[in-house]
Amino acid sequence: MSDSASSFPGRALRRRSFLRVAGATVASSALLLAGCNDDDEVAPVTTNSNTLVLTNNTVGLLNYLYLLEQLQAALFQKVVDAFPSDFTADDRAAFIDLRDHEVIHRETLKYLLDTSVYDINVGTNVLVFKFDSFNLSTRSGAYTAARTLKELSVSAYNGISRMVLESKEQPTFQAHLKLLVKMASVESRHAAFVRDQLQPNSFAASDVIGTNGLDSSKTPAEVAPLIAAYLPITLDVTALIFI
Amino acid sequence: MNLFKIISELEKVDPEIMDRLTHRRSALTALGDLSKKMAMAAAPIAIGSAFNKALGQNTLTTVTDVLNYALLLERLEYSFYDQALKAATLTVPLTGAARTAIETIRAHEMAHVTLLTSALGSAASPAPANGFNFGTAFSTYDTFLTFAQAFEDTGVRAYKGQAVAIKTAGNPNNVLQTALQIHSVEARHAAHIRYMRRGATAGNQTTIMPWIVNADANGAPAPVYGAGNPVATFPAEGNVAQGGITNLTTALGATYDAADVSAAFDEGLDSTTVTNIAKSVVVF
Repeated sequence: MSDSASSFPGRALRRRSFLRVAGATVASSALLLAGCNDDDEVAPVTTNSNTLVLTNNTVGLLNYLYLLEQLQAALFQKVVDAFPSDFTADDRAAFIDLRDHEVIHRETLKYLLDTSVYDINVGTNVLVFKFDSFNLSTRSGAYTAARTLKELSVSAYNGISRMVLESKEQPTFQAHLKLLVKMASVESRHAAFVRDQLQPNSFAASDVIGTNGLDSSKTPAEVAPLIAAYLPITLDVTALIFI
Repeated sequence: MNLFKIISELEKVDPEIMDRLTHRRSALTALGDLSKKMAMAAAPIAIGSAFNKALGQNTLTTVTDVLNYALLLERLEYSFYDQALKAATLTVPLTGAARTAIETIRAHEMAHVTLLTSALGSAASPAPANGFNFGTAFSTYDTFLTFAQAFEDTGVRAYKGQAVAIKTAGNPNNVLQTALQIHSVEARHAAHIRYMRRGATAGNQTTIMPWIVNADANGAPAPVYGAGNPVATFPAEGNVAQGGITNLTTALGATYDAADVSAAFDEGLDSTTVTNIAKSVVVF
């Protein structure tokens, strides 16, 4: 557990990456072609200044999860930066852990994506996620926000297996699946914890676990509209094909 | 290292992986014959283990063996919670919200037993004639929760250990999804049980968290958090190497605590190690 609330500053997401689309696309494609044998790989690009279009490959999938981890890290960072006055010492310690885990998830995905990460061309303007719909100044509000994003994360990770890939993409996806599943159960642990803090014993309540004993699962197409309100951009996942 | 380098690394390590896995199509066909929706919940374990066998990591020989192995583990878990809820020694401490939580978990384990039994049909092995003997597990509330934590964290590792193998089996996406949905529930159970242990009557593990920090066993059997076989595929929970990155504490452009890095990732475990852990604490 980190002992410093400011040890993991939120990553600066810069709007300029979305405004310099054309140049980024050319540069990314060239890098990809130089770095691999797959001519069809294309980094996620924006088609206009405010839309992030994810490609139908592992790069697209990892960028999708990267965005989700950015979103969560930003939320926990915001709470850690200004703890609700009714937070207990345990609440603070837990949120620092949650923030740390999300930052590590985010940075790991960013590292793996390397030049394919969608926000590689950062400028000076920070891309700010919108948490206006939550009241982060109270314990209840902070945990409600955490619960909302955690449940989205759990279902998103449970849904990744249904991605349809060309055979040439399979080895990449399998290598990353091993990693993603390692994160997935941690997201579930987080979800159970924040649910319990908000409502005792709701860690695996019937609103999330069916009578068949299975957790929820959502495709990117199902997740995208649910996170739209928090994003200062439009997320286009239509090319990211899931069955 | 970048994304694309990892692909070629994989191919270098095992260029014939797809060929060897092709033989296992028979296992998929067998599972397809089960056809019922119920079968899908059980299939992940079977397919995953069958492919593990192809890679020399599993001693089970048939799909039925694998399914019955899974059924045994689920029965073990169900029996564990069922006995706990009926144990006289736990009547007093296991009350209120704590009892409700254990009843919730027991219901989920029962659902899994039902799924597996249905999938196996007449091939289902009978439950152990003498049931499961958990020894001193229910002697105190503290001990009970320690065992529960061990079983749940092991359950998470058991499912996780099969995920990639399932995906490798072609395109059984619905099978893998079901496996992940069970895996996710196990993680929720584990998180809750862990937090229950913080109370004075529950062991007073005031520093334990819902997530696994390093490979800390917190009183549970150490192998639950140790490495599996092979170690390279199933490292201990304290592992800080992920996604081909040797050490995440220093490789990401900032320095992160090993505790945080290890807690941010759970690790998989092979079925042989899982079985050995169960046999070390349960007689059946």
